[in-house]
Amino acid sequence: MRLYIFAALAIALTSAFALYGINYDTRQLERRVQAKERAIKIARRDIAVLKAERAHLGRPERIEPLARAQGLRPATERQLFAGPAEAMANVFSETAQRIARASRGE
Amino acid sequence: MERAITITPLGGKPARRPQGKLGDTVANGRLRMLVASLAIAVAFMAVAGQLVRLALSSQFQVTSSLNATIAESFARPDIVDRNGRLLATDVEAQSLFADPTRVIDRDEVVEKLASIFPDLNQVELRKSLSSPHRRFVWIRRGLSPKTAQRIHNLGLPGLAFRRELRRAYPGGALAGHVLGHVNVDNKGVAGFERYLDEVVGVEAVYGATLAERAPARLSLDIGVQHAVEEELATAINRFRARGAAGIVLDIDTGEVLASASLPDVDPARPIMSLDPARIDKVANSTFELGSVFKMVTVAMALDNAVVSLDTMVDVREPLTAGRFTIRDLHPADRPLSVADIFIRSSNVGAGVLALEAGPQRSREFLERLRLLDPIKTEIGPIAAPQVPDQWQESEIITTSYGHGIAVAPLQFAAAAATLLNGGHRVIPTFVKRQPDAERDMVPLIKPATSDDIRRIMRRNVTDPKGTGKRANVAGYPVGGKTGTAEIPGAGGYKKDAVISSFLAAFPMNKPKYLVYVLLFEPKGTGDSGGEVFAGRNAAPTAGRIIRRIGPLLGLLPTSEAAAAQSNRVFDATRLAKYEAR
Repeated sequence: MRLYIFAALAIALTSAFALYGINYDTRQLERRVQAKERAIKIARRDIAVLKAERAHLGRPERIEPLARAQGLRPATERQLFAGPAEAMANVFSETAQRIARASRGE
Repeated sequence: MERAITITPLGGKPARRPQGKLGDTVANGRLRMLVASLAIAVAFMAVAGQLVRLALSSQFQVTSSLNATIAESFARPDIVDRNGRLLATDVEAQSLFADPTRVIDRDEVVEKLASIFPDLNQVELRKSLSSPHRRFVWIRRGLSPKTAQRIHNLGLPGLAFRRELRRAYPGGALAGHVLGHVNVDNKGVAGFERYLDEVVGVEAVYGATLAERAPARLSLDIGVQHAVEEELATAINRFRARGAAGIVLDIDTGEVLASASLPDVDPARPIMSLDPARIDKVANSTFELGSVFKMVTVAMALDNAVVSLDTMVDVREPLTAGRFTIRDLHPADRPLSVADIFIRSSNVGAGVLALEAGPQRSREFLERLRLLDPIKTEIGPIAAPQVPDQWQESEIITTSYGHGIAVAPLQFAAAAATLLNGGHRVIPTFVKRQPDAERDMVPLIKPATSDDIRRIMRRNVTDPKGTGKRANVAGYPVGGKTGTAEIPGAGGYKKDAVISSFLAAFPMNKPKYLVYVLLFEPKGTGDSGGEVFAGRNAAPTAGRIIRRIGPLLGLLPTSEAAAAQSNRVFDATRLAKYEAR
């Protein structure tokens, strides 16, 4: 009987300690999960703000003048050539004109 | 001290248990031990049960119950353009509230807050803070971080902040009419924002929880939208117009790539949309559109086989219908072909074609193109057309050149797209269609009629006498039709007040996009030769828009069109790589 009682007491105490341990670990894990969730929420909030800022900085109204300042323009028909031969002819023509202007001292 | 001794004899039975007083004592001791053990076991079980309950219980339920009575907001999906560029998103913002029971000095709170918010209703706030039964009073919602910090620095007891979701529009007023706006609870109340609430779905949240839904993808291209808005703003300045509107539509899918109405509205400032001058002229207003309607009249006559493009019509005499006399601005001194009626924009010619077709066929054709019934898009119902009560001779004549019938520009653009795309129905949409999505190709007119309309629209731009010649763009085969409509006022049409418009399409060898430009009450300026006609203001504006948006839409200038411009001889077969991508 005594053995039974001691055994029961030991099991109860062990169970209690185990339960306390599990409970403590659970609380710790919960705290860690909550901390991660808070970090995720803050990160998502920051991403939303950064996304909005990037879109604001990349709006056409702002980008277009910057592109123009870089000399970028929409494609025009003057950039078209019939083919390599005509392209070369144009290049030669421009070069010839430049040489002619240079020879005239212009 | 007595001790119970059990003696077991060798080879014999165990000794009998002690009897009498000693035996009772032993039995009582066991009972007490048993009871004590049970009590300890029950106690441990209670402790263990409590531990398990606490470990399993969720803390979030507590949080929810605190917030439930305070504020509910809506987490909305982002809105992006057809290329994924952001147009609207949710961000967290601080909202300021007060707990009147914790406010120590009401006057100090009111005065210091008024120094930060000059428009604060001090009387109302003082009254709210004086209420003995209130524990929560909103003061200002959606504060910027800077303003929130300034209030925080005041150190006033009784004030606190709550994080909420606010809608941010990074593009500013870009596409403001299409986007619409939300209310203070982040709920969509107008435009595409409302469509998000009604169809796509938003999430009711407590506090500032961002939505996890995929973004809603508009059909708009913000590069094209910006180009259209900027060119319209330039046109308003050049021609001193009161307003302008522009549409770019994919004539096959009905996707709206740009929809601009100036003066514009900023979706972050919903109060702007209450200004009548800022109403969306593309979808929420109807106008008598004038001679662009001749596209419909000529198409009707061709589709019903009343005439062909070469049929000659006598337009030398004015047309009389009831008390009205219809004249041409520049009367022809000879009969004109149907194509010439279109190119010279002859009111008399259009009226004759409508009379030849008759009231029934004229009305039926308008019905077929859905110009008489209200339509709806994702940004809301389009303003319902205003149509004649009866269709007598005078009504069909005035309707033939775009008077006596008022429709929203977007609705007319959709009908015009049908005339240009080979004849199938176009339903305008602000949502991007998937390239591989099956489309309901409902034929409304004959493909041959569509071909004829394309041909005369192109001629109207290339012909030196065409009213649309100033819309010509080097490198792009553009076609179009002008419209200069007088604006009705009290007691008749206003003097010198017109809506000039130009409906263009490109590339005309196989039209892909429709561009519709409207200028409201332009003045004759140096840039328009002192005239207010559409050929002088709306047509060149449409040309400038096409020049800018062509490359953005992946359409490079073609060498054929360039050749037509410069009279240079090109070998088209070698130039395939320069064709539209």
